[in-house]
Amino acid sequence: MSYKERFDRWIFNSFTVSAEGLALLRIFTSLFILLFLIPGMSMSHFGFLSSLPNDFYSPPPGPLRLLEGFPPLAVFQISHTILVISLFAMLIGYHTKWASILTGILILFLQGFIYSIGKVNHEIVIPLVPVIMAFSNWGVAYSVDCRRKTDSIKPESWPLTLLALFIAVMMFTAGFPKILGGWLDPSTQAAQGHLFNQFFIRERQALLAGRAVGFDHALFWELLDWFTVLFEVGFIMALFKASWFRLFVGLAVVFHFSTMMALNIAFLPNFLAYVVFLNWDKVYASIRSATIKTSGIRGPKSGKWTVYLFTGILMFLFLPIKWVSINGYALSQTDLMLHEFIVVTSAFLFIVILALVKVIEKIRKTPDK
Amino acid sequence: MSRKTVRTLFIALLIYLPLQYAVVGIVGYYDAEPWPAFVFPGFKSVYVYDDGFEITRTVFDVETVHRQRSHDMSPQVLFPEIPLSQIPGFVRTHFSDDESVQNISEDGKAWLRSNAADIAGFTPNAMHIIELTEYYRQTGDGAVLDMAIETGRITILF
Repeated sequence: MSYKERFDRWIFNSFTVSAEGLALLRIFTSLFILLFLIPGMSMSHFGFLSSLPNDFYSPPPGPLRLLEGFPPLAVFQISHTILVISLFAMLIGYHTKWASILTGILILFLQGFIYSIGKVNHEIVIPLVPVIMAFSNWGVAYSVDCRRKTDSIKPESWPLTLLALFIAVMMFTAGFPKILGGWLDPSTQAAQGHLFNQFFIRERQALLAGRAVGFDHALFWELLDWFTVLFEVGFIMALFKASWFRLFVGLAVVFHFSTMMALNIAFLPNFLAYVVFLNWDKVYASIRSATIKTSGIRGPKSGKWTVYLFTGILMFLFLPIKWVSINGYALSQTDLMLHEFIVVTSAFLFIVILALVKVIEKIRKTPDK
Repeated sequence: MSRKTVRTLFIALLIYLPLQYAVVGIVGYYDAEPWPAFVFPGFKSVYVYDDGFEITRTVFDVETVHRQRSHDMSPQVLFPEIPLSQIPGFVRTHFSDDESVQNISEDGKAWLRSNAADIAGFTPNAMHIIELTEYYRQTGDGAVLDMAIETGRITILF
């Protein structure tokens, strides 16, 4: 096989997608951003930004340095409103490609101002996912768009490879500085040092943080330093095989769950990118077969009911979590939001169950000696 | 998109992404981390000394004339609207060197004073930005603060 063919196979055949699976992913992504990841979470944060004196406007090097201060609140209000509309358009699949791209651009625009107080948060995956997935044609099924003539439009899998490339490179950028910073030096326990910093300075003291601070075993913390670096740098190697990449995504969920339990940092935006690599075709097939079994509806109608049921389940799960979070029912001794804790813990449990099912399947398949 | 266009896009990104990482490193070293950039946080610092850990903390101490009334507060208390994840960067950018603090405009000072007054319950005449370096060591009972040294102090007069 020539290099070009191998390259093509990597780009176009690493992942498989279906129109139905992508439709579920589109609905999940829209609701997840709308309820949990929309920049600023509410308009009050933009009210605060626009009220800040210009002394405290310090944008990072980049396009926002062209401005001298935060724009008036009306600019934020208009952008935020258009963002919500474009997210709804993405949800129902109305001019899906453009709605997805517009969503990404507006998130990027709003994030830029949030970071212009002197600190960039690394949440670029939030705009990246809708922009990249716009090219997967994820609006080709179960959407307003599909009512128009779109026979020539087929779902594309290469955006998943592209997103995998971005994640792998970005993970590498998290791991490489740690090597330079001395994380692999056996005489220093860097993860433990960060735990102390989060615990004492930022007062992130919930969940297992207190126990972790009291757990003084140098070998454990050193192994954690090594695991962190190898895991983050190793993402690059996982890029070349879909099954490896999915394994690393699973490990990433476990990694973020551990980080949340000890350091009270959830990295929720990353989960938006990880969820893309879930086997959405299988999710669709499972819900559809359950729909057929329980309702007896067959044929194309069962597909529609599958999507309604999926959307209903998501709303049923997401809305109460959001309600609890915005009403201030929060975890004490930390700034970790309750919805972050619930989502990350659920993802962790899901990965554990998935791993157990895989192990059981493997054991069953092994022939008796 | 045609296959050829997609292939070209991948080749371009395979070249661009490592290059942008290098640029982020260089610009970050001389100025600040650029944005937008396709990077995740490095957390490269290792807060370690001998057999313990060294942590730097900033405290905002406000007072009236002759220190008749005073109140110290952490940055997260003084700036409650700023997410905790952005507090260290905000403090480092605006309050870590004397020159930038003294250059804060009257509007900026009024905003700081009003924020501090809301928290302290009195209108301060001065604000001290104190940098403390704390040294922790591990004992059988957990982490214990060994000592805290004041490593910097900047004063704003209102």
